[in-house]
Amino acid sequence: MAATCQICVVLGLFLLPAFIYGDTCLAPVVKSQTYSTPEAVVSTDTVLIAEFTLTCKNNLKNINLYADIGGRTIPATKTYEANKYQISISDEHKKLPPGTYEIRIFDEEGFAALRKAQRSGESTDSLKPLFTISLSHQGIWSGPVLQSEFVAAMTAIIVWWLAYTARGKLLA
Amino acid sequence: MAGGKQNKLSREEELLLQDFSRNVSTKSSALFYGNAFIVSAIPVWLFWRIHQMDLYQSAIIFAIGTIISTYLVAMAYRNLKFILKHKIAVKREDAVAKETLKKFADDKRMTKKEKDERVLWKKNEIADYEATTFSIFYNNALYLALLIVSSFFVLKNFNPVVNYSLAVGSAAGLLALFSTSSKI
Repeated sequence: MAATCQICVVLGLFLLPAFIYGDTCLAPVVKSQTYSTPEAVVSTDTVLIAEFTLTCKNNLKNINLYADIGGRTIPATKTYEANKYQISISDEHKKLPPGTYEIRIFDEEGFAALRKAQRSGESTDSLKPLFTISLSHQGIWSGPVLQSEFVAAMTAIIVWWLAYTARGKLLA
Repeated sequence: MAGGKQNKLSREEELLLQDFSRNVSTKSSALFYGNAFIVSAIPVWLFWRIHQMDLYQSAIIFAIGTIISTYLVAMAYRNLKFILKHKIAVKREDAVAKETLKKFADDKRMTKKEKDERVLWKKNEIADYEATTFSIFYNNALYLALLIVSSFFVLKNFNPVVNYSLAVGSAAGLLALFSTSSKI
């Protein structure tokens, strides 16, 4: 009886890591799509969106994922499709300047480590994310320097001015 | 000149009267109204395509605006033409006389009076033509400038119907008002 228990414990000790690893996505394959606000004429804020599909070697589905974009930590939203997630942040145009944003994705374990590091004020750079998505933000176009109605008005005024001077010469 | 006794005016007097008359010929009037209509219809496109007004729903206001504007713009054309015509006639007088007299220099049968009449007629025709075309050009330029400035800048925060009415009304009204001034 005692021997059986010992065997169970030993087996358990060997199998435990396998159970724990069951929550970790092994060899993640990511297919991602990104979007960033292209112009400021009709948008008041800049939005960065990343959408990705995650496939794990160990067939994990719908695990909780978290994203870290330049110090901002947000949960990844699960979509109606299995293993498809979306991350979005929005802020004023100035606070999200053009450039490449590295979105670091963590699982529960990685996120716990990240929170711990943040709480203790340590650098989170050394933490290894599950995977990284890079989002290239081209910057926002704030419309033409000269509005078209301004150009139209100026042209009309110049034409009128020419007519006015010609009229002045005729009436002189 | 047309006292009680003399009822018939001489040809020269008729020309002179025509020269100083504010009335315009039918041909000139048609030209004025045609041009005034075209320039008054331009805002319809502007408010339809740029200010997003519905063409059919706003048809009545567009029609009223265009008719009133056509009348006022044509009036401005006439007024400015009247002011310009004399000035142009005076300016072009020498050149016209020189050219006309040169043309008939070899014609021995023509009397001096006839030649003068020809000069007067030619001068009147040239001044009329130049004044008509210049008046159309000047008023169109002013009308469009007033319209663009008022619709895009002064009245930009009003809703399109109010914007259209006020922009077209003020542009045509101001045009007619300015045309009555004889000062430069």
